[in-house]
Amino acid sequence: MRGVLTVFRREVGQYFASPVAYLIAFALLLITGLLFNTDLTYSMRVKPAEAALIPGFLSFALVFFAPLLTMRLLAEEKREGTLELLLTAPVPDSAIVFGKFLGAWFYYSLLLALTFIYQFILLAIAQPDIGHAISAYLGIWLYGGAALAVGMLFSGLTENQIVAAFLGMTALMFLWLGDLAGQIVANLDLAYVLRQLSLQGHFSTSFAVGLLRAEDAAYFVGIIAVMLFITIRIVESHRWR
Amino acid sequence: MIEVENLTKHYGTHLAVDHVSFSAQRGEIVGLLGPNGAGKTTTMRMLTGFMPPSDGTARVAGFDVLSDSLAVRQSVGYLPEHVPVYPDMTVHGYISFWARLRGVKNVRQQVDAALEQVQLTDRRKMLVRHLSKGLTQRLGLAQALVHDPPVIILDEPTIGIDPQQVIEVRDTIRQLGENHTVLFSTHILSEAEQVCDRVVIIQQGRMVAQGAPATLRQQLQSGAHLYIEVRGANEAKIREILNPLRDIQSIEPQGNGFSLRVKPGKDLRAAVAERVMAAGVALLELRPVAMTLEDIFLDIIKRN
Ligand SMILES: Nc1ncnc2c1ncn2[C@@H]1O[C@H](COP(=O)(O)OP(=O)(O)OP(=O)(O)O)[C@@H](O)[C@H]1O
Ligand SMILES: [Mg+2]
Repeated sequence: MRGVLTVFRREVGQYFASPVAYLIAFALLLITGLLFNTDLTYSMRVKPAEAALIPGFLSFALVFFAPLLTMRLLAEEKREGTLELLLTAPVPDSAIVFGKFLGAWFYYSLLLALTFIYQFILLAIAQPDIGHAISAYLGIWLYGGAALAVGMLFSGLTENQIVAAFLGMTALMFLWLGDLAGQIVANLDLAYVLRQLSLQGHFSTSFAVGLLRAEDAAYFVGIIAVMLFITIRIVESHRWR
Repeated sequence: MIEVENLTKHYGTHLAVDHVSFSAQRGEIVGLLGPNGAGKTTTMRMLTGFMPPSDGTARVAGFDVLSDSLAVRQSVGYLPEHVPVYPDMTVHGYISFWARLRGVKNVRQQVDAALEQVQLTDRRKMLVRHLSKGLTQRLGLAQALVHDPPVIILDEPTIGIDPQQVIEVRDTIRQLGENHTVLFSTHILSEAEQVCDRVVIIQQGRMVAQGAPATLRQQLQSGAHLYIEVRGANEAKIREILNPLRDIQSIEPQGNGFSLRVKPGKDLRAAVAERVMAAGVALLELRPVAMTLEDIFLDIIKRN
């Protein structure tokens, strides 16, 4: 527990010390701000404001954002040699992985919280569907955790952050595309399976439309668990090289 | 404090450490000495709980490195060969991180003490990336001792820094030796001689000698050397002249003259002078050369 907390604290601190993280925050707010503005203009007297607007956008953007947030996590430790020192610290290997993951997820949560501002603006000028928004945010929060866990795994496979980011994006792209693949496959059973495996398949037609289903939450938690498990094994494997 | 028995490590089929045994008592400074690729780093990595041994046992502070890895890691301070740093952290933040990770109780107090010990107190606010190589080395030392471990393991702590810093790091190691067991590796023999109570020499994964530097010197002085300088004879001629002296083991050109290796316990000065002059060659210089530990080291390595 001490290990998790110590590593977590350092990671969060690193995010605030790193220009990349600020750039990502800046880009995120800029894009979502523009989106929100556009949606608001459309919505004038035509339709209600889109409650899942930001989460919906993130469900695609995370394919690129998440690996950028996680590429550093293990690749840098490997390149600087600090991983060797971490692995001789009196904490289990899992604590290092958990601490890092939680640090990334925490930073992502903060970014997500920044976009609450749009909800507050809506609250002030209209009557948005709060329940729907909460569901979408909850979904994209879990979705983000899963995407970060995937990104971190690839950070553990290489010393090169760029390679880690690229591999992470590719993997997430496939997980994301599963949804589309499901739509163009004629075999219904196969289409169903593909959709059930994809990130979108557990978001766009459930959380994003205000539907909370246990199996969707379980899917994201499951992805996180599996990814962390593999990452721990990858970290452990450095003892055998 | 450190007991190593038949420690062995394979990398695939490559045997990096081959049945090495040695021990270090409380408060002893032990030098692990060997040329590049001897297996020093590998040995240390097994002792710090980083990698498990393929065979043999090692106990550190009474704990087995395999079955009690976490306890071993708690009792060891380790400075790897290339100081591992987080460039974006401050000096103070960096040391505090390692202190917390190792469960130090009064983090602030311990960190201050560690920084004081390596004289980095006035740079505590600096970013690690801005430290010079010498200062980074000291930062690495501070990290290794911040949790006040009984055993400190340093992998080539004086490599790549200027002579002034080398002296300071050696002083720090000697100070550490008062309260800790220190194991450090080097391939510089004079360093081991200056700092260590005992040296363990390994080569190609095998231990070839161990003992106090002075004892080693005595034991291993395999033969005295004579240095001669002559005029009017080349190497072949000298070999021919001295050939009948069976106690001379080898003749090698050295500087302007020749270095003769003589069987231990023999004094050939008179015999050599006599033969050289009898051949009508002018003898310019003849003197015994005391072997330094350096020579002995090279000698052992060559012979193995
Ligand atoms: N991860 C590894 N995989 C395969 N072989 C390795 C690995 N690490 C070291 N070796 C080999 O094991 C042997 C011992 O290496 P080691 O790093 O322990 O030597 P060393 O005494 O520390 O050398 P140096 O003075 O160069 O640091 C070398 O032949 C090296 O090539
Ligand atoms: Mg080495």
